[in-house]
Amino acid sequence: MSAEIQPGVPVGLAAAPEPRPASEVDPATPSMLMPLAMLLVRVNHVMVAFGMVALLAASAVLTSSVVTRYLFKSSTDWQDETAVFLLVGATFLCGAFVQSIRGHIGIEAVSSLLPSTLDRVRLLLVDVLSLCFCALFAWKSWTLLHEAWVDKQTTSSSWAPPLWIPYGLMALGMTLLSLQIAVQVAASVRRLGSRQGAT
Amino acid sequence: MSMLMIGSLFGLVTLLLMFSGAPIAFALGATAVVFMAFFMPAASLDTITQNVYEEMSSITLLAIPLFILKGAAIGRSRAGQDLYAAMHVWMNKVPGGLGVANVFACALFAAMAGSSPATCSAIGSAGIPEMRKRGYSPGFAAGIIAAGGTLGILLPPSITMILYAVAAEQSLARLFLAGIGPGVLLVFLFAAYAVFNYKREFRRAQTAFATHGTTSSMLDREDFSMRQKVEMLPRVLPFVVLLIGVMVALYGGFATPSETAGLGALLALVLIAVVYGVWRVKDVAPILSATLKESTMLMFIIGMSLLFSYVMSYLHISQGAAQWIVALGLSKWLLLATILLLVIILGFFLPPVSIILMMTPIVLPPLKAAGFDLIWFGVLMTIVMETGLIHPPVGLNLFVIKNIAPDISLRDIIWGVMPFVGLMLLSVVLICLFPGIATLLPDQVMGPVPAAR
Repeated sequence: MSAEIQPGVPVGLAAAPEPRPASEVDPATPSMLMPLAMLLVRVNHVMVAFGMVALLAASAVLTSSVVTRYLFKSSTDWQDETAVFLLVGATFLCGAFVQSIRGHIGIEAVSSLLPSTLDRVRLLLVDVLSLCFCALFAWKSWTLLHEAWVDKQTTSSSWAPPLWIPYGLMALGMTLLSLQIAVQVAASVRRLGSRQGAT
Repeated sequence: MSMLMIGSLFGLVTLLLMFSGAPIAFALGATAVVFMAFFMPAASLDTITQNVYEEMSSITLLAIPLFILKGAAIGRSRAGQDLYAAMHVWMNKVPGGLGVANVFACALFAAMAGSSPATCSAIGSAGIPEMRKRGYSPGFAAGIIAAGGTLGILLPPSITMILYAVAAEQSLARLFLAGIGPGVLLVFLFAAYAVFNYKREFRRAQTAFATHGTTSSMLDREDFSMRQKVEMLPRVLPFVVLLIGVMVALYGGFATPSETAGLGALLALVLIAVVYGVWRVKDVAPILSATLKESTMLMFIIGMSLLFSYVMSYLHISQGAAQWIVALGLSKWLLLATILLLVIILGFFLPPVSIILMMTPIVLPPLKAAGFDLIWFGVLMTIVMETGLIHPPVGLNLFVIKNIAPDISLRDIIWGVMPFVGLMLLSVVLICLFPGIATLLPDQVMGPVPAAR
C-alpha cells in the first residue's frame, strides 16, 4: 500500500517536518521497543486497509439510502448509523497511522526561532504532552466501553445498535495512537541522549 | 476564582499549547482536559470520551471524509487537465481568454472537488505553464490559480460550510445555496481582473515590440477549429453531469447533504473508473489513503475542538466573552468589522476548521443580538477565511503554487495574489451592501427563513 503524498497537495496546514515512509521504523527506536514499533507498522497497515474499506462501504450505504427512498418510498434508519460507525471507526483506527507519518498538523511557527537543540527538546515535550492526553483518552474510552458492554447500552434510534461497537473502535484506535506516540517519544529521548553524550 | 481570571487563564493556556507546536487536535484536547481537572466536577473527566463521541457521531460532520474522498478521486484523475484544456479551447476568442478560462476551470473544479489546494494543483499544473508560455507574467499566472483555488470552500460542497452549519445550528442546504451567489460574484470579479490585467500586459508587450522589437509570445495568435472544440466536450461532460446530478439530488429533496456526500464520492469513483480507467486496487488505494490521511487529521481536530468548546461553554467562558462583546456597545457594523478582522488575524495561524469551532460560540450570540442573518454571516466568514489561504504567512495555496511552479519566486506569487485578496475584500463589502447576493438564492429555492430564527 503506497503512502505517498500527491505532489503539490499538502495534506495539512504546515508541512510535516520529515515525512518518513510509513513502512519504516525510526532507527533511533530503543532496541527493547523495536518489536513493538515493527508490530505497529504492520497493524497500521491493516488499519488503513480497514479505513479504505470503511470509506467505500459508508459511501455505498449512504447511496443505497437515497436509492431505496426513491424506489420504495420507504425510509429506513440503519443507513445513517451504519455510516457513522464506519466513519468513526475509520477516523480513530487511522489516528496512529497518521501520527506515524506526523500527519497531525500543528503550528510550527516557533521551530525556526529556537536553536536546534532546544527545538528538539520542545518537540519531545510536545510529544510527551500528546502522549499524556491520548493515554488518558484511551483509558477513558476503555472504561466507557466497559460501561456500555455491561449495561448493554444502545443508541437512541429505533434500530438501536449496541454502543460498544463505536466505543470499542474508539478505544482500540486511541490505544494504538498512544502506543505510537510512546514509541516516538522513546526514539526522541534516545536520540537526544546520544547527541548530548557525543558533545 | 473569578470568571475573568478563568477566561484569561484558559486563553493563555490555549495559546501556549497551540504555539508549542503540538498537533492542534491534542493541544485543544489537552487544554480542555486540564481545565476539566481543575475547574469542573471530578466526574466530568470520566465523560470526555462520551462527550467527543456524541458530538462527533453526527452524520453531517462525518460526511466530511466522504466529501474529501470525492475531491481526492477527481483531483487525482486527469479531470483537471481535461477541464482546463476544454475551457482554454472554448474561451480562446475572448481577450485575456486564457486567464478567464483558468478562473472558470478553477471554479468548476472547485465545485466538484471541494478542496482549495487540490484545485490549485489540478488546474495550476496545466494552467500556469500554458499562461506563461503565452507571455503572462509569472506572478499574474500564479495569482489567478491561487485565487481561483479558494473558490473551493465557497462553492458547495464546502467542508468549512459544513462545520459552520453544525456549529451555528443553521441549515446546511441553505448555507450551500447562499454560497453560490457570492461564488459567482467572485468568479466574475476574478475574470474581470484577468481581462483587465491581460490588456495591460498586452499593451506593455506591444510597446516593447514597437520600441525595441522584442517579440513576446503574448502577441501570437492561436485558433481552434470547431471540430477541436467539439472534441473536447465528451471528456468534460461526465463531470458536469456529476456536479449537476449531485445538486439536483440535494435540492430536489432526494438526498440529505450527507447522503449527497456518499453518492458524490461513489459516482466520482465510478466516473474516474469509466472515463480514465482508474479502477485497479493499486490506482484506487492511493486515493483512499490520501483521503484517510487528510480526513483523520481533520476529524481529530474537529472532535477535540468540540470538547474544547464544550469546556469553554461549561465554564461560561464563551458566554462571558459574548456578553463582554455585547457590553462594548459597538455599533452594528463596527461589531461585524471587528469580528471579521479577528477572523483574518486568526487565519494567519489556524486552519478554517479550528477558527469556526472556536469562534462561533463567542461571536454568534452578539451578531444575532445585533440582528444579522447567521447564514449571511457564514458566507462572509467563509470568504474572509478564504483570503487566509492566499496571504502570508500560512497561505496554503501559495505553497501549493510554489510546489507546482518552483521557478516562480514566492515574492512574485505573493504580489500576483495581492490584487485578488483586494477583490475578495471588495466582495465582502459588496455582500454587506447587498445582502441579497447571498440570501436571494436560498430564499427563492427554500422559502424565506422562518421568523423563529
